[in-house]
Amino acid sequence: MTGRLEDKVAIVTGGASGIGRAICQRFGQEGAKVVVADRNIAGAEETLTLMGATPENAAMVDVNISDSFQVERMVDAAVTQFGRLDILINGAAILIRTPPLVEVDEVLWDLTMETNVKGVFLCCKHAIPAMTVNGGGSIVNISSMSGVRGVGYSVPYAVSKAGVIHLTTVAASQYTSQGVRINCIAPGGVDTPQMRGSTASAEAFAGRNEGHPMGRVGTADEIANLVLWLASDEASYVSGSTYIIDGGAWAGAQ
Amino acid sequence: MNKLIDIASRAIADYGFRQAVLYGASDIARKWELSEEEAALLSGPVLAELSALPIPVQPPDIPAEQARVADVIRGLIRF
Repeated sequence: MTGRLEDKVAIVTGGASGIGRAICQRFGQEGAKVVVADRNIAGAEETLTLMGATPENAAMVDVNISDSFQVERMVDAAVTQFGRLDILINGAAILIRTPPLVEVDEVLWDLTMETNVKGVFLCCKHAIPAMTVNGGGSIVNISSMSGVRGVGYSVPYAVSKAGVIHLTTVAASQYTSQGVRINCIAPGGVDTPQMRGSTASAEAFAGRNEGHPMGRVGTADEIANLVLWLASDEASYVSGSTYIIDGGAWAGAQ
Repeated sequence: MNKLIDIASRAIADYGFRQAVLYGASDIARKWELSEEEAALLSGPVLAELSALPIPVQPPDIPAEQARVADVIRGLIRF
């Protein structure tokens, strides 16, 4: 199926790699005009190349999502270039491994919260008015299973991702009536540069496949397929929900 | 100098932190209250060293990489 996002304009933060890149590519295949937003310019350019992008169907914005002015500029750039904004995917995040809570540096806590929570807040804050002016839109926030069950390898990351889930619920309660559907996904392990990098060693990464109900972690494309559905009009009655996508890992652990 | 070595050492040991440095060196410099000279070194030669590292640095290789980059930083700092 193609054209599921025909004539839609989407901003994807964190579009320079991993899940964000896969979403950009999937959205491009389905006819969306995509703004690849990231601080990693080289990675964002690579995403545009992989998408086979042209100035008519894609653009790139260098943005620090914890800076309100830059986020406002990002939304303005999308609207100026493509005439409207229909979809926002909040995929940008950082994952810094930390020791147990007592030993966590305040500066790492602040750094994580500024990107993972304040960044999502600011993107929603500036994108929602640009959507309501045209009757609404769809926002998908990327949380994590860390935010659902609170894993210990990064205290600030787990707490920040729980914050994203609650931000989704609160925002949906306030803006669904204005036509903006706001949902969240919580992926488990996914084979991305971030996950490979944040896993202590190559052996530890390979070990994540063992004991998994499907015998493997997910792929970025599999995550992008769920995001595509939530972003599209096919999910027209879905708002305020968080979808776990972990290949049955959490269910299997119960 | 010690702050700069601390930042580089963390970035070698943790890929997530390395990404924060690579794509937000000015934020890191501000949070760690680096001097102007240190901030310039971070966004210049130190960043170049961090960019060249494998993803992730394997645990047995971390101490040697940290020592190597610390030596590079000591060589760059003017007294």
